[in-house]
Amino acid sequence: MINPSMVPTLDPNPLPAPYWVFKLLLLVTFFLHMLAMNFMMGGAFMALAARFGSKSSQYRNRIFIDVAKKIPTLLAATITLGIAPLLFVQVVYGQYFYTSTILIAWPWFFVLILLIAAYYGFYFAAYKGKRRPGAAGFVLLASLALVLFIGFIYSNNVTLMQVPSHWAAKYFANPSGWNLNLSEPTLIPRYLHFVTAAIAVGGILLVLLALARWKHDREYARHLFRFGGKAFMYATMAQFLVGMWFLVSLPRDLRMLFMGDNTLATVLFSAGLLGTVAAIFLMSDALRKDSIRVAAYGVTGLTAFIILTMVIMRDILRDAYLEPYFHPHQFPVHTQWSIFPLFLLLFLGGVVLWLVMLKRYGLFTSTKPTEL
Amino acid sequence: MNYPIWDVAFGAGLLIALVAGLHVFVSHFAVGGGLFLVLTERKARRTNDTALLNWLKSHTKFFVLLTVVFGAVSGVGIWFTIGLISPTATSDLIHIFVWGWAIEWVFFFIEITAALLYLYGWDKLDPKLHEWYGWIYFIAAYASLVVINGIITFMLTPGSWIDVHKFWIGFFNPTYIPSTFFRTAICIALAGIYALITASVQKDLDLKARIVRWGALWTVPALITLPLFGWWYIRKIPAVLFASARGPMPTATHYAFLAWSLLVVTFVLTLWALLRPRHLHLAFALVIALVALGAMDSFEFVREDVRKPFVIENYLYDNSLYAASMPGDGGFTIDNLNTVGVLNAATWVQHRAVTPDNQVAVGREVFRVECQACHTADHYRGIHQLIEQRQWDPATVHAMLSGLSLMHNGIMPPFAGTDAERDALAAYVNSLQTITPNPATFTDGKLVFENNCSMCHQDRPDDMLFTGLDPNPKVAADSLKDLTSLFPLMPDLKLSEAQRTSLVRWINTQRPASQHAANQPAANRPGTAPEGGN
Ligand code: HEM
Repeated sequence: MINPSMVPTLDPNPLPAPYWVFKLLLLVTFFLHMLAMNFMMGGAFMALAARFGSKSSQYRNRIFIDVAKKIPTLLAATITLGIAPLLFVQVVYGQYFYTSTILIAWPWFFVLILLIAAYYGFYFAAYKGKRRPGAAGFVLLASLALVLFIGFIYSNNVTLMQVPSHWAAKYFANPSGWNLNLSEPTLIPRYLHFVTAAIAVGGILLVLLALARWKHDREYARHLFRFGGKAFMYATMAQFLVGMWFLVSLPRDLRMLFMGDNTLATVLFSAGLLGTVAAIFLMSDALRKDSIRVAAYGVTGLTAFIILTMVIMRDILRDAYLEPYFHPHQFPVHTQWSIFPLFLLLFLGGVVLWLVMLKRYGLFTSTKPTEL
Repeated sequence: MNYPIWDVAFGAGLLIALVAGLHVFVSHFAVGGGLFLVLTERKARRTNDTALLNWLKSHTKFFVLLTVVFGAVSGVGIWFTIGLISPTATSDLIHIFVWGWAIEWVFFFIEITAALLYLYGWDKLDPKLHEWYGWIYFIAAYASLVVINGIITFMLTPGSWIDVHKFWIGFFNPTYIPSTFFRTAICIALAGIYALITASVQKDLDLKARIVRWGALWTVPALITLPLFGWWYIRKIPAVLFASARGPMPTATHYAFLAWSLLVVTFVLTLWALLRPRHLHLAFALVIALVALGAMDSFEFVREDVRKPFVIENYLYDNSLYAASMPGDGGFTIDNLNTVGVLNAATWVQHRAVTPDNQVAVGREVFRVECQACHTADHYRGIHQLIEQRQWDPATVHAMLSGLSLMHNGIMPPFAGTDAERDALAAYVNSLQTITPNPATFTDGKLVFENNCSMCHQDRPDDMLFTGLDPNPKVAADSLKDLTSLFPLMPDLKLSEAQRTSLVRWINTQRPASQHAANQPAANRPGTAPEGGN
């Protein structure tokens, strides 16, 4: 039952810059959010895999602590880089976004509480990992479970915002916000697609740590490299299955977007697939040849590229879902020239200052691995 | 009604109060505390005070763990909650101010990075560079306050933005500058108060005393300036709005009282701590912090309350109706709803017509979309309690729905909708009544006043109720038979003969002597103006 009248009308205030500006900012910042999120969540997976799964008693706790120390900072990055897309998604998709959040209001609200709990848990593991590895392991596990749940709530929201035809039944059955979007067939494969990617990127995090320790502690670094490299490969292979599942769960007309119906989507999809295969081979080759640089720069770069294609495909998919309702040309636009350039200026200045801050801290020039 | 309403039995507004109330207390500390960190570091290095420096290290950890984690996430939390509870207002604000928020985000990004590097850099960086991170942190944090302050004050005093719709006009609105000063003082005061907390657990009593004195040096002067800035702030708020906090609106009035009195208590307690700085106990420091939290949140509540019935003053009502029609309003205005009806205009309602069978159900929906932004059925600002306390019978409830916009200094929007929808709303509200009110037995004039008149009239000699009533008790009592003919906007209440008589008798005992004289026909000689009033 399609009832387009359920989509709220736009508010009277025009977009303060052309539509594409916001779309671009949304995609760029969301891409960064995904990078940080993948490192954070993947790092937590790796720390736990080392703590509870590693056969090497020598390195088990060392990897655990090494990685656990990074997670609070990575979570800070995830959140900080999440705020920008949260802002821009409301500018462009507010009518859909607010509605779906209201339908799942309580889980959405609990994100805050889960996030604070997870955050303090990660800090506990980072600070107490050395003295109390046992307790820290379990706390980290709990925190990982919480961030996994947060990601799941996000997927519920994002999938729900794309299907206005499902809203009314959900809302009137439970107006008090105790809903999720579990009946959505794409929800689980979509969500697992994100989690599997995070595990792979967790592997990359280990490879990067290995790179930083390569000169000073070759043996440990090599162990990290192996551990991370393999995790990356296995997770990425599994991703083929999960990704296929996601693809077949999509409604046929949307699936066909990636198989010819939409040129850009098809190109991105092919590039993403090829890139993935290439990344697996590259990593396996690097492991065999013990060439950390190929893994650290080559595979990381390739993976970032793949994530970028996924982010754009995800956007094309959303607009295809919303095709019956959402028409960007309908936005009235009144560019705020008195402030928009100031933002651009401050944004660029901010990036420069940010880089200077990292540089002066010694993050780019250190001969010794820097602890963050 | 354009968006679905999140139906929270205990009142969704309480969630905003909770999230925002805790957030402001940490975020203002995040600003003032940043300045405190660098200046204290400098002081400790200049005086070679290693003990102070060591304390400052642990204080930094406390600072970062509190502000970067709780402060940042609760800030996101405000976004989450306002989007859930006031999606229309949020959407408006986003489209008006997104570049402000985007700029704030840039500062926030710098702020978080600098905070972490400052924390991790304690043992790694040379002092100069370390302080450099501290300064960047503080400047970025302060800049984010300066930006966000423009949007917050806009909601209370949009000023001429309403006519011109220009970013900077809305941003530098009438309360912008006083609010900046006011909040800056809060930041400084909180920096000292939080320092007392970590100081209180120090074993080295001399160190403890030094920190307490140093902290108080931040808090005490800042607290002294607050009344000054507060007074300035209030003067920039249109007097008719702030009048709500001077009696007519119960919540605003209580919080205004609390804000001032808790401010004084904070001041006294801080001085007390200063008297015996070596003996400051953690519990005492926490009490100071809690009282300060109470003072600060009371101020925020007053600020939010006095702009009622609007979320954005003179632009958007709390229930998401626009104050005036304009292109793109989607038909969500009082006028349009009065014409086409709520059920027709609203998107998120299930019923599209009133029938004799669905009256209460429709009323429930009308209540949800029009009233629930501020009221609940029987919890926070519960209608059930309000009507029961005033012993309103169904006819009274029905009549009162016409006078909503007059009540409590005009803090409610008028009812908007058709007569049938108003009947349905009355039917629903009456269904919440669990007692059998029998107002006819109330013949105590004061009670009659409180239950029926006090929502709009005040017990003050300059109120219309006193100045406008005929001095002759019999004539006065008769005139109250038909209230709408006295003043067309008054609800058409039907008081019994006994009630009217006792009400008039009570009113006459409340009048000041001057008014009695002024109201005597003989006193109305030319040249002797009636003195009533204040
Ligand atoms: C533990 C923390 C977090 C995790 C694991 C996480 C994970 C995710 C995932 C998996 C998605 C994609 C969902 C989908 O497309 O199905 C997502 C989207 C998003 N996240 Fe996060 N997230 C986290 C925290 C945050 C925070 C704190 C914010 C905001 C402050 C945020 C902002 C966003 C936004 C705005 C989107 C949607 C963007 C869009 O639809 O274009 N995230 N997140």
